[in-house]
Amino acid sequence: MTLKKATFGKTLLAAGTLMAAMTAAHAETLKIGIAGPVTGPVAQYGDMQKIGAMMAIDKINEAGGVNGMTLEGVIYDDACDPKQAVAVANRIVNDDIRHVIGHLCSSSTEPASDIYEEEGVMMITAASTSPTITEKGYELIFRTIGLDSLQGSLAAEYIKDNIKPQRLAVIHDKQQYGEGLATTVRDMLADAGIEAQMFEGVTPGDKDFSALIAKLKRNNIDFVYYGGYHPELGLILRQSREKGFDAAFMGPEGVVNSDLAAIAGDAMEGVLATAPKSFDQSPENAALVEAFKARNEDPSGPFVFPAYSAVQVMTEAMDATGKTDPYALAEHLRANRFDTTIGEIGFDAKGDLTEPTFEIYTLHADGSKTPVTK
Amino acid sequence: MTETSLYILQQLINGLTIGSTYALIAIGYTMVYGIIGMINFAHGEVYMIGTYTAFITIVGLLTMGVGSLPIILLLALITAIIISSTYGYAIERVAYRPLRGGPRLIPLITAIGMSIFLQNYIRLAQGSRDLAMPALISGGIEFGDPAVFEVSISWMQLIIWGITLISMTSLAMFISRSRLGRACRACAQDRGMTNLLGIDTNRIIALTFVIGAALAAVAGVLLGLYYGIINPYIGFMAGLKAFTAAVLGGIGSIPGAMLGGLILGVTEALTAAFFPSEYKDVVAFSLLVLILLFRPTGLLGKPEVEKV
Amino acid sequence: MQRALFPALFAAGVTFLLTCLVIGVRLEQVGAELTVTGADADTWGWIAFAVIGVFLFQLFQTPLSRLKQRLPTPDVTGLLPDTQLRNRLKPWLISLIVVGLFVWPFMVSRGAVDLATLTLIYVMLGLGLNIVVGFAGLLDLGYVAFYAVGAYTYALLSEYYGLSFWVCLPIAGLLAATFGCILGFPVLRLRGDYLAIVTLGFGEIIRILLNNWTNVTGGPNGIGGIDKPSLFGLEFSRRASEDSQTFHQFFGIDYDSSHKVIFLYLVAVVLVLLTVYVINRVQRMPIGRAWEALREDDIACRSLGLNPTVIKLSAFTMGASFAGFAGCFFAARQGFISPESFTFIESAIILAIVVLGGMGSQLGVIMAAIAMTILPELAREFQEYRMLMFGGVMVLMMLWRPQGLLPMKRPHLELKTS
Repeated sequence: MTLKKATFGKTLLAAGTLMAAMTAAHAETLKIGIAGPVTGPVAQYGDMQKIGAMMAIDKINEAGGVNGMTLEGVIYDDACDPKQAVAVANRIVNDDIRHVIGHLCSSSTEPASDIYEEEGVMMITAASTSPTITEKGYELIFRTIGLDSLQGSLAAEYIKDNIKPQRLAVIHDKQQYGEGLATTVRDMLADAGIEAQMFEGVTPGDKDFSALIAKLKRNNIDFVYYGGYHPELGLILRQSREKGFDAAFMGPEGVVNSDLAAIAGDAMEGVLATAPKSFDQSPENAALVEAFKARNEDPSGPFVFPAYSAVQVMTEAMDATGKTDPYALAEHLRANRFDTTIGEIGFDAKGDLTEPTFEIYTLHADGSKTPVTK
Repeated sequence: MTETSLYILQQLINGLTIGSTYALIAIGYTMVYGIIGMINFAHGEVYMIGTYTAFITIVGLLTMGVGSLPIILLLALITAIIISSTYGYAIERVAYRPLRGGPRLIPLITAIGMSIFLQNYIRLAQGSRDLAMPALISGGIEFGDPAVFEVSISWMQLIIWGITLISMTSLAMFISRSRLGRACRACAQDRGMTNLLGIDTNRIIALTFVIGAALAAVAGVLLGLYYGIINPYIGFMAGLKAFTAAVLGGIGSIPGAMLGGLILGVTEALTAAFFPSEYKDVVAFSLLVLILLFRPTGLLGKPEVEKV
Repeated sequence: MQRALFPALFAAGVTFLLTCLVIGVRLEQVGAELTVTGADADTWGWIAFAVIGVFLFQLFQTPLSRLKQRLPTPDVTGLLPDTQLRNRLKPWLISLIVVGLFVWPFMVSRGAVDLATLTLIYVMLGLGLNIVVGFAGLLDLGYVAFYAVGAYTYALLSEYYGLSFWVCLPIAGLLAATFGCILGFPVLRLRGDYLAIVTLGFGEIIRILLNNWTNVTGGPNGIGGIDKPSLFGLEFSRRASEDSQTFHQFFGIDYDSSHKVIFLYLVAVVLVLLTVYVINRVQRMPIGRAWEALREDDIACRSLGLNPTVIKLSAFTMGASFAGFAGCFFAARQGFISPESFTFIESAIILAIVVLGGMGSQLGVIMAAIAMTILPELAREFQEYRMLMFGGVMVLMMLWRPQGLLPMKRPHLELKTS
């Protein structure tokens, strides 16, 4: 009898230990969605966001995870297409993921954010700069990058104070990002008394700007602000050089790309641009930069560190509140400041950063940039 | 000369440059339509392949240390022509020949499918990003009063004019003087009869595709050097514009394609000159629609008599 | 076999020329420099495979084609049971399918229902274009323009006048039909290819206008925040807007986001069923016959006294109206529209659906639409190759089976000789 009891007791003990061990070994994972273009023409930008977020997830997991949980990054591809972005958002909700870093293109983030807000999913974008995303009064939508409107006003201030052009032209590429910026710059400068002689759009994908350049020449333009991306500006610079049009140019962060040097060559020397601070240059991030390089990843892209910081603030909020509920996290984000790789940041009521993150740089023909001293 | 007239002259120069490249590509469309009555939607992609081949050749030669510009240009042209012509031939042989004689809708859909296939084929092979090459030929001449308006013509523009002129003249002479050219004209007029006369129409049709592709390749090389930037999607727009030019001039007529290309180029340039440049493309499409509505046979085409 | 050697070598040579530079050498952009590198070993392996494959295929062409002739032709219609049995089973089958369609969404995941809704939109578009291309034989390459008109109509009316989805649905259809009429009128005289190109130009013009007319259409930003359809005034959202109730409040149940998705799906099902029914009826009416007469031979049509103008216009108008309905629903489902969704490629995809399904065959078009929407989802790993396969399939289908998977059978009576 005693033997049986003993055996029974031991079995129970063994089973209990085994179960405890299994539970301990199988820690919970918290999935974080990373939504952006993996395929398509702007995949390189989606890549920046991805490596930043994944590096953050790995570092946090190395340090023991969050609230006893391991993080797992799940990649979703929206190819910068609003239709696919909606499908991705639905899929993320379906997969029971309630925290998202993304999307990238403002035209994708907009419709996706409607779904996330509706379904109680927290979304932090590290790259969408269109102001309308945070204009809808949503609780769960945040961003760790500056707004277009801030870029535009920064550029306008600089032009007004430092350049004082005689004959200004503002050109844009008719897309949300470029036209929005161009309009801000034009309006602010008009308020300051500098009227734009020309305000025109070009078609993205177009190669021939000779007509535009002839028009610029004819109007004796001495300064051009271009709202748009690097392919078109590169061609405009290159063709301007060919045609003997030598006004000064300025553009937003969408033109700051090593490809600009490939397209424009020498013609890009001296072009001005507003760009996010080079977080990969700051000494605090030196160790991280090494970590990226060790993985053969390029840390200099403008969305790498904002994505990293997005994961940072999300997980810090989880640590601080002890919960993963998006509403609780959102409250915490709004009420506190965080120390991240993009500096010390806080969020305002709309979910935007309270700090300006853009600076003005002079671009050089070898692809590097130096900040201007005001 | 006044400022406006100098400005217009500049825009004319720009327009003629781009127009002559439209003309080169348009000839391919018009020849194929003239001979088998089908719109080769995939022609734009053949142009795109020509550009990519040119880039590969040029960069390859530069890496190997070849310094002489004329040699680079010549080799680029030759390679692009060979590869593009092969593509033109292969497309016809594989996708269009089996469908000849059937309802007209089918080859059109095949052509659209072929166009999408080739675009993505190059995209997978070479990446969807823009590839940029620094200007190999830069500088030009300027004239006019600097105080009023300086008109500039770049060397590249002159080269484009020159090579286009040579290509079109050679083609015209080939079509009108040589035996094969005569066979082409016969085929375009009445294919059945030509067959009966003992000419291998299959080979003539293949030749048509090859010639069209070769000219598109020339345009590809020239434009690749002129703009310096390529991606797999440039074929679509270029093809559409060139097609508009072909229709404008009268589809089926080679001089028509040349004329149509120049007119389209100049119209675009002048529109951009006096209106916001974003409406450049609308002009091209509206011109297309208007021409088809009011004079479907184009400027130099012959009215098609429908036999019952 | 000797005679096949030379063509085989030629074909292999052509294949090699085609691939050696364009695939075999890769252009890379390294910083500001452009470099060429030979492609990796895998790629050269594929090239070798292709060259050798073409060589062998050409070499053994005659025996291979003889073998092909002995194979049974892939005729799906052969699988269907014979006519008598079919006629008796049909009403049961149809009711089974309809009931299934209504019941199914409650049993599957939200993502599947969402995908089904998207499929239904393409079904509607395919059926609509089928009228123009399949029945009347008019090649319309700018069909997406009517789709855009429908979508923007609802978006704009909802934004500026606050009209609900149900009110806007008929308006969208009507407006799209009007555009169809406007487009149809000038192209009446054109035939075949010319018609195709004009419609293509029209489609592009509409897209460019939508992109540039920023004041009204929001330009490239598109229009966002479009309302979802409501059930008799009950909204399907977490919180109700002023002076209306939400669905879950009314029925006293918990908010579940899948309600909205299922409701959208059911609306789509209703729309599609209506479409199928209406088109079926019209096909049997004189106008349907007139369309087919026009497609077969429009000169004979004219000589029979039928007015081709009216026939063409009616085909365009009707086809356009269905695109309008689809567009309206699309705007409601997505909540955000921009000119990017209405490119020529969309027109090409819808055309492919009609052609692959069998021009004129409603069932074929439905199957093709389902295949075109679902297969890319299943083959997620092949995302990169999706468009490549799409183009390739289009070419192959035309070479292999141009009448489509389920070629159209004209509704007819067969006289039975006893």
